[in-house]
Amino acid sequence: MFADMHYIRAVIFLFVLLSQVPPLFAQVKRTVSGAITDAETGETLIGASVRLIGPASANETSIAAVVSNSYGFYTVSAVEGTYTFVVSFIGYQTESRQLVLTRDIKVNIAIKDNNQLEEVVISATKRDENVSSPQMGLQKINVSEINSVPVLLGERDVLKTLQLLPGIKSAGEGNTGFYVRGGATDQNLILLDEAPVYNASHLLGFFSTFNSDAIKDVSVYKGGMPAQYGGRLASVLDIRMREGNRKEFTTEGGVGLIASRLKVEGPIVKDKGSFMISARRTYADAFLKLSSDSSINSNTLYFYDLNAKANYQLDENNAFYVSGYFGRDKLGIAETFGFNWGNGTVTLRWNHLFSQRLFSNTSIIYSNYNYVIKNMLDDNNFEISSAIKDFNLKQDFEYHPGGRHQLKFGVNAIHHTIDPGELTASQTSSVNPTTYESRKGLELAAYFSDEWNVSGQFNLVYGLRISSFSLLGPGNFKTYDTEGEVLAEQYYGSGKTVKSYLNLEPRLSMNYQLSASSAFKAAYTRNVQNIHLMSNSTATSPTDLYIMNSNNIRPETADQLATGFFKNFEDNKYEFSAEVYYKWMQHQIEYRSGTDLRGNQEVEADLLYGDGRAYGIELFFKKRFGRFNGWIGYTLSRTERRFDTIDEGSWFYAKQDRTHDVSVVGIFKVNARWTFSSVFVYNTGNAVTYPSGKYQVNGRTAFYYAEKNGYRTPAYHRLDVSATLEGKPGRKLHSSWSFGIYNLYNRHNAFAIDFKDDPVDLSRTQVVQTTLFGMIPSVTWNFKF
Amino acid sequence: MILAAENIKIRCLVRLLYAVTAMVLFGSCEKVIELDLKNADPVVVIDGGVSDFNGNQVVRVSRTYEFTEPNRFNGAAGAKVVLTNDAGMTWNYTEVSTGVYQSTRFRGRPGITYTLDVTLDGKTYTASSKMPEKVILDSLTFKQFDVFGSISSYIAVNYNDPPGIQNQYRNVLRAKGKVEDDSVNEDRFDDGNKVSNVIFYELDELMSGDSVRVEFQCIDRNVYKYFYSMGQNSGSGGPPVSPSNPPTNFSNGALGVFSAYTSSTRVAIIK
Repeated sequence: MFADMHYIRAVIFLFVLLSQVPPLFAQVKRTVSGAITDAETGETLIGASVRLIGPASANETSIAAVVSNSYGFYTVSAVEGTYTFVVSFIGYQTESRQLVLTRDIKVNIAIKDNNQLEEVVISATKRDENVSSPQMGLQKINVSEINSVPVLLGERDVLKTLQLLPGIKSAGEGNTGFYVRGGATDQNLILLDEAPVYNASHLLGFFSTFNSDAIKDVSVYKGGMPAQYGGRLASVLDIRMREGNRKEFTTEGGVGLIASRLKVEGPIVKDKGSFMISARRTYADAFLKLSSDSSINSNTLYFYDLNAKANYQLDENNAFYVSGYFGRDKLGIAETFGFNWGNGTVTLRWNHLFSQRLFSNTSIIYSNYNYVIKNMLDDNNFEISSAIKDFNLKQDFEYHPGGRHQLKFGVNAIHHTIDPGELTASQTSSVNPTTYESRKGLELAAYFSDEWNVSGQFNLVYGLRISSFSLLGPGNFKTYDTEGEVLAEQYYGSGKTVKSYLNLEPRLSMNYQLSASSAFKAAYTRNVQNIHLMSNSTATSPTDLYIMNSNNIRPETADQLATGFFKNFEDNKYEFSAEVYYKWMQHQIEYRSGTDLRGNQEVEADLLYGDGRAYGIELFFKKRFGRFNGWIGYTLSRTERRFDTIDEGSWFYAKQDRTHDVSVVGIFKVNARWTFSSVFVYNTGNAVTYPSGKYQVNGRTAFYYAEKNGYRTPAYHRLDVSATLEGKPGRKLHSSWSFGIYNLYNRHNAFAIDFKDDPVDLSRTQVVQTTLFGMIPSVTWNFKF
Repeated sequence: MILAAENIKIRCLVRLLYAVTAMVLFGSCEKVIELDLKNADPVVVIDGGVSDFNGNQVVRVSRTYEFTEPNRFNGAAGAKVVLTNDAGMTWNYTEVSTGVYQSTRFRGRPGITYTLDVTLDGKTYTASSKMPEKVILDSLTFKQFDVFGSISSYIAVNYNDPPGIQNQYRNVLRAKGKVEDDSVNEDRFDDGNKVSNVIFYELDELMSGDSVRVEFQCIDRNVYKYFYSMGQNSGSGGPPVSPSNPPTNFSNGALGVFSAYTSSTRVAIIK
């Protein structure tokens, strides 16, 4: 029932050691705190750098530095004296002023957007954050970066841009699913304004649910996750929506090949509150309507997204936010079949300052994912609906005791309800109506972390997350043996605990600064996952089933060790990093062959449990400023799994294993109006299972598979280009054109490889490769007023 | 059955999606490629059955062969094939052609468990199967579906599923003497009902006067799982999965399946 006791003892011992550190300072400390905002829009800025430099007598060294938090809030403290107070943020003009610190004060700073056009914004972080911060495995991308990079059909996409970073790999051609350091797609925690998003894709994976118009900040943690995050093994993708312009109303939009977008934002009460509403809808079905054939034009095929957010600053110490996302895909074949699915999330947040040193965020989050399939054929009409519902309560504190520590602590409770399916049918149908038992679970977590500036060179973030999971009644719960036979079955009443698990998740990340521009970092992270995606498909499907820990399924755990070297050159113009990681994963899940996941209440009987390991090296070189900028990322890695009953317990390549993965991104600003950009990607083919022989059963040819994932698909590579033409400046309606070509040299990459009878000689088998996207041009018109 | 309907629709939707992509863009394409496939050591394959019809029951023993070779039955000669049942009876099979072994004439009985032992090159492979109670194939009917402009004809098998019992069915469709479709279904969603199950084999290429023969079998759970998994590998069971050898009921590492089944056959003539 509990985690390994030795492990728990070791962790406790470590924390006792750390807490023995003597107090560091006795001088009188004063605190400066406040919010950092954009002077033009009033939008709060995440990750802006705040420094107190001085006193003038001392040599000009920065003596206190912090970055603004996810809510734009900062607190920095120093001994009494006269300081230069400097706020900087890439893409913005640096703001500095004199500050006489004799008491705790509040300073809200609005900084101006840097309109020097030769400088394309390429990173949201402060200039040397990558070297000076103890955080490891974190990568940030800026919305303007998302907008500059060419993508399929010109439909800019956070998740596809993310896949161009080392250690993050695409799950397939044009696909928004991604693998991080050997993790599967369901091992990524995807948060939109703190709400978990279960199926972050549209149209079977080609587009993500994140409309980049509505997005302010994107952070992805590949390792060294801070203790406030938990629940998935491989990564945390933290996406924050824009708050809306507090000064004036603006409208922005675009018309593309497959979708149009519109965003409106503006003040509710000037400088006090604002709103943002952003919508997107595809019109693939409009093309269907063009057909005169009724069997084509009566079909439905589209998706839409709606993001909305509003905030209100009640007073200096209280701010309220409400944000929501609603998106849906709808597919239908005339009057015979319908299929729709989508996510909905609502987040209510309250930011409160108890004092200048204690910041609090309270969030109440509701998240829902569901799908409905309708078959309207007379004699077997039916409707299947399935849903996952989460209620989530979060309380986070940030405490600045002064000195060299910054503390974060909090609690989190998530109540999950999974309705695997309800099958309804009419009287005339041969289908029997059935309701499958819902499953309920409760995840409770508490965490604590301390960012500790041990010395000028050595920084440390250490923390601990304690997480528990309980599977709750009502319902019948079965226990299976290793052969999948029922060992026991028991009924539990409503709210009764069926099974509980408790885990400790220590987190440690540190840097040792070798010089002002280089650092050595190391991190250890343990992550736990209590909810698992059941998909034996090679592609993601909206009907993929989520299932929680149970009598049979134990929490998945992963331990990751990572170390790296970080170096910036020429006043932070160039950034280089090399990271090495090794990850052990336990209680990974696979299926027996022939497992039927659809409407299967007994699916746990067909599961197999094993181990995983992943290791690799990631190299990253980036030019961050100037007319020409961009990056090169390279990953060399290995991901393997081991299951007792698969290939006699030997290690096999996981489907997310790729030996080499290269991405090159270049953005060139020719002049004030033209920007060209290009992306090249190369990766080793996926590990797949192909036949190693054949035989006959009942006169039909069958294939013999000698080893799991023992083959590779052909290597994948592709070059994309795009050009953006900005409208003439100074007009009220600002517009721009984006032209793109996906897969410029028309590489025929393998989407699927099938083995079929040769149509010329039916006794022979041939190998047929399907390519999804050849060379594809696109054009998008964007406007703003 | 509803799953089959659901699957074909989902596959159609995926196809539609790609078709739309193709309409707007330059689209997808297929080409034949060369793949360097490994050649694994040959493995024994046993394909055997006992039906409730009075006749010579047949067991086929073969070996896997290289992927690049023409399709054939690679029969294994000289096997010892023995069938027993839980009523204490034994049948010794004789080899009638290379790899094909036949019993004397007899009729299998529902409710009886049969065990097949095949010994080849000193290694014995054993499988058991219990013959389910018989469900009769009432009739075959033609059905038409409109799949994006092209109307296709299919055949449906009609039967009454007995209530309260878990049933598995296998449909073997033969046209022009060749097995064209071999698929399984179960009564998980339509237990106890009058069922009309569509076999998703397009009849469009057949001519008026051609006959379609459907053998409707009741099979046990393990045999169902074997053929369900076989269907998944070829993508006919739903979305494509990472393929693997279907779970055999034979011991000792043989491929294939042994099935004790009831059989009822009907023939439909294309009008």
